Amino acid sequence: MTNLTQQVTLSSRIRIGPGKHRDWVVRVSTVFLAIIAIATLIAPFFTDLARKQSILDSLLPPGSPGHLLGTDELGRDVLLLTLAGTGSAIAGPVVIAAGSMLIAIIVGTLAGYLRGPVDWAVGRIVDVLLSLPVMLVAIVVAGIFGAGYWVTVGMLVLLFCPSDIRIIRAGVTEQAPRPYVEAAQMLSLSPARIMYRHIVPNVWPLILTNFMLNLAIALVTLSSLSFLGIGVAPGTPDWGRQITDGRGILSDNPAMLLVPAILIVLVAMAINVLGDYLGERLRERGMQ
Amino acid sequence: MTESQAASQTTSPGLPADTAATGSGPNTGAAAVVVTDLSVTASERTLVSPLSFEVAPGEMLAIIGESGSGKSMTARAITGLLPRGVHAEGSAHIDEHRYDLSSDSDSSWSEVRGHRAVLLLQDPFTSLSHVLRCGEQIAMTIEARLRRAGRARISNAQIRDEVTKRLAEVHLPARVARQYPSELSGGMRQRVAIAAALAAEPRLLIADEPTTALDASTQGEVLDLLRELQVAHRMALILISHDLGVISGRADRVIVMQHGEVVERGETERVLGAPEHPYTRALIAANLSISDAPRDAGQHAAGPVAPALLEAVDISKSFGQHQALAHASISVGAGEVLAIVGESGSGKTTLARSIAGLDTPDTGEIRLDGRVLPAGRRGRAPGEIQVVFQDPYSTLNPAFTIGASLEEALRAGSDRSRTAAELLTLVELDPALASRRPSQLSGGQRQRVAIARAIAPSPRVLICDESVSALDVSVQAQILALLGRLRDELDLAMLFITHDLGVVARIADRVAVLRLGELIEQGTTAEILRASQHPYTQQLVAAAERDSVARDLPTDERSSQHSPQRPHQRPPQQEDHE
Amino acid sequence: MTTSINARAGASSGLRLARTIALRVGGVLLILLVISFLTFTLIYLAPGDLVKNLLGNRPSTPAAIAAIEAQYRLNDPFFVRYVDWLVAALQGDFGISIRLQQPVTTVIASRLGVTGSLIAFSFILALITAVPLGIASAAKAGRLIDRVSSATALFGLSAPSFALAILAISVFAIMIPVFPAYGAGQGWLDQTWHLILPSAVLAAGIGAILMRMTRAAVLRELESDAITFARARGIPERRVQRIALRAALIPIVTSAGLILTFIIGGTIIVETVFALPGIGQLLEEAVLFKDLPVVQAITLLVAGSIALITILVDLSYMLLDPRVRARELS
Repeated sequence: MTNLTQQVTLSSRIRIGPGKHRDWVVRVSTVFLAIIAIATLIAPFFTDLARKQSILDSLLPPGSPGHLLGTDELGRDVLLLTLAGTGSAIAGPVVIAAGSMLIAIIVGTLAGYLRGPVDWAVGRIVDVLLSLPVMLVAIVVAGIFGAGYWVTVGMLVLLFCPSDIRIIRAGVTEQAPRPYVEAAQMLSLSPARIMYRHIVPNVWPLILTNFMLNLAIALVTLSSLSFLGIGVAPGTPDWGRQITDGRGILSDNPAMLLVPAILIVLVAMAINVLGDYLGERLRERGMQ
Repeated sequence: MTESQAASQTTSPGLPADTAATGSGPNTGAAAVVVTDLSVTASERTLVSPLSFEVAPGEMLAIIGESGSGKSMTARAITGLLPRGVHAEGSAHIDEHRYDLSSDSDSSWSEVRGHRAVLLLQDPFTSLSHVLRCGEQIAMTIEARLRRAGRARISNAQIRDEVTKRLAEVHLPARVARQYPSELSGGMRQRVAIAAALAAEPRLLIADEPTTALDASTQGEVLDLLRELQVAHRMALILISHDLGVISGRADRVIVMQHGEVVERGETERVLGAPEHPYTRALIAANLSISDAPRDAGQHAAGPVAPALLEAVDISKSFGQHQALAHASISVGAGEVLAIVGESGSGKTTLARSIAGLDTPDTGEIRLDGRVLPAGRRGRAPGEIQVVFQDPYSTLNPAFTIGASLEEALRAGSDRSRTAAELLTLVELDPALASRRPSQLSGGQRQRVAIARAIAPSPRVLICDESVSALDVSVQAQILALLGRLRDELDLAMLFITHDLGVVARIADRVAVLRLGELIEQGTTAEILRASQHPYTQQLVAAAERDSVARDLPTDERSSQHSPQRPHQRPPQQEDHE
Repeated sequence: MTTSINARAGASSGLRLARTIALRVGGVLLILLVISFLTFTLIYLAPGDLVKNLLGNRPSTPAAIAAIEAQYRLNDPFFVRYVDWLVAALQGDFGISIRLQQPVTTVIASRLGVTGSLIAFSFILALITAVPLGIASAAKAGRLIDRVSSATALFGLSAPSFALAILAISVFAIMIPVFPAYGAGQGWLDQTWHLILPSAVLAAGIGAILMRMTRAAVLRELESDAITFARARGIPERRVQRIALRAALIPIVTSAGLILTFIIGGTIIVETVFALPGIGQLLEEAVLFKDLPVVQAITLLVAGSIALITILVDLSYMLLDPRVRARELS
């Protein structure tokens, strides 16, 4: 039966799965994300340049000489603003997704493997944290405390981790009764070794797909917050902020709003495409 | 009818000669099902090479093979239910209806599935929908049949009556119609599935390992029921099985398959009695049979053959309301194999896990060499007891190479002088496998690695928890031989947890029989298998003997008889803990 | 005989159902208690001069300050104040909005209609588009309809609702002025008309999630043994798909419950962009003006609604899955 099931799952990928069309989309997404990653790394060097205001050049439409995407009402170059904004748009989500997953791997594995009181306590904390929408807590806390960018990011790490903890815990609970884990217990290995050397590598597909999903959600959440004016100081180059500012000058320079908005959508789509693809590949490998 | 049969005869003159030869059985003149040049491929890989056969009404054809033989693919190809990406060629006749096996149009298959052919699946735990009542699932087949016959309107009361009738046919009470599958035992679920299949009134029933997921005593009942219904409905039946034991006395003819090819075919009695192909012979020889047990009950002393090394005294364990094990006591000496026998829910796995420390018993004591071991794993040493688990596919960490798994086990023990390569040699594997991952190994190879890992920390006691039941018949015998050799060389005390009396007969010195958490009988293998005092044990032995082929091969092949194996049984932990 | 046994079994399972529900409700009340404490602490810790915050735009005379200190018992210990607040809240008194100088309950009640309709509209919109699309995609996996709807879902999943909202306003209110861009409108019909764009925007994101989850659930069921066996005994394909759907309903309902909580979070953004006078916008303003009693009450209201949804989803398992029913009721 195992044999047949394997063939079924394998072959179901043959038809539904990649194909040439899908490979092409994955390749484009990867290249695009690589470019965005480079932009994120060099973004800090352009922040000062992007802040440079010029009264003479205020509100130029796209295609103006010297300003490919035009300027905003303060005379800042939109292309430079967008490039500099890549930093806060991407770095935060990466930290959020990685940080929340790291906490989830530690806590979720403990809860799922040790069970008992640890599991119970973690479960109740997660219940409380999940009973409020991330957006609401973020707006309330960051708004009331006037939190800066990295404090907001840190808060989002904490708000993202309950669902990750649940997912990792479920994955670990599924692995824990398997014979390879019990064989490790028979060797009297330490619980830490069993959890983090034996079990965690086997929930890797779960970790990776959820990391990618969180990356996309964090990108959207963080830019939504900065759109509301939370987490970024006025004047800071940031995609969400740029969209807020761009609403006022939509008819004069639509690029101010459109370019960061399209970039957010494209980056999130590329992340989701890559996440789906990697998840499928890893599951396939796990099955063989 | 006669005309159509004649037609089907005349349209198959191109059949290969061997098919014609096997068609010499008593029912040939009335062949209802003719399959011609069936082949199955998956992305250029051949799963089944062209194969032709026929089955007459009321006749049972068995297709026998180990995993990867293509037997299940053959079954699915006939009903057009191949997994995605797998493709069939060839054609088939059922009565006057001729159809193309390569078709992928739903409308052409709707002419076949149901009133002409039905496929019964292996696992009754998944083949019925768990959200619908059993009655509804049978009723759906009835409605589909009536709609096809053009009788669209029929009262609910009439359908209810027929559901009751169909349930009665499989010896189930009418109340089952109102129950959900999850409320029934495995055997009852498979009966419901049979009732749902027969409600289509098919001309051909294909049963794909229909009893593999069931307990030994239930297995025979379900097979006999299938045989009985087949005769009553004059239906052609194709039985797919890995088990030579179950077909003797039931199937009229048999086809033996290996790697997608037919290696032998003929009447069942002839194939089992005088196999021609070496593979068939090997299969029969490898088949573990209850009659391998020592003949004379007085051969061994009644007590343990060696002084007790491991003693488990008065072990009890409950899971919530359910008492899984009540006051069981066993002991085993060095160099001795004690088999713990029982069906699902008997508590045999709970006993093994309590001894291993993987479960904490509610009461009782486990002593090794007179020293009391702590309950649970905490405070236990790897050099005391090790376990070889059932499922070779999850027993090794998929993220580790074979070498890494073995080295970790060696480091856990006290003897650091051995190497992973030596361990692999000890279990008769190529040391070069150390760099591979579990996914690159076959089931038998994985189980050998699992054995190597278990003996790495030099344990005194080895617990084998259904360690061969997930393996192919031919591999089972090899693994048992290996375990026997290691017991002798390392002077291991062995506990062998199994549901299979054929395994017991092959390896055990003594036997303990568990039933519903109670230890009902203990004794030497000869005493228990040849002269049991307990009616339950007698019943188990009778079921095992019934499914053995009482036919002697030439004297050089010692194991001429067979007993049922259930290689793909669900993990016993699950069943025992429910 | 049989009926009396059934009746008895029915009565006792009814009792068990009541007990199960009571347990869940108790758990929810506990969570609400914890959240009320957390928000109270948060507000206690809020930076800035609390008296000044509470004064709002009233003149800061010593008399007014004394009145505020007396009204909010600012000189009492923290726990006493929390308990006082809790007692009042349990009686339905959540205090006075600092900004609007009206009882918090009145303020919230006046905003509830818009947000309630927005949530209902977008939930229904997501449900009636995403679930059928997900089913169709699963049934025709790999074909055109699957590719198109999966790609659409990918877009919906990736586009932030504020960007979609701005796009929707630009296209459907400014370039092609079919829908109103801002506000709630007057009268029943006009109000509904004003809610169409916001609901569609909100539904896009959550519908995408629901569609992907539905597709995955149905696909898994269609490949199950139960479906193979149903096909194997000649049950027509339409009926087979209904069986698959019946089993897939359990994960679909879970997803629907989950997205309902996403919708509640999403209303804040959408109401802000579309200038809809709902709870979300109220919260955003309250946070901006540090109108703490309002923030506190809204937080509890949202937590309570989400908890209620969770209970309903859990109860629906019992309705949909006989195995869960058997486990919970015995």
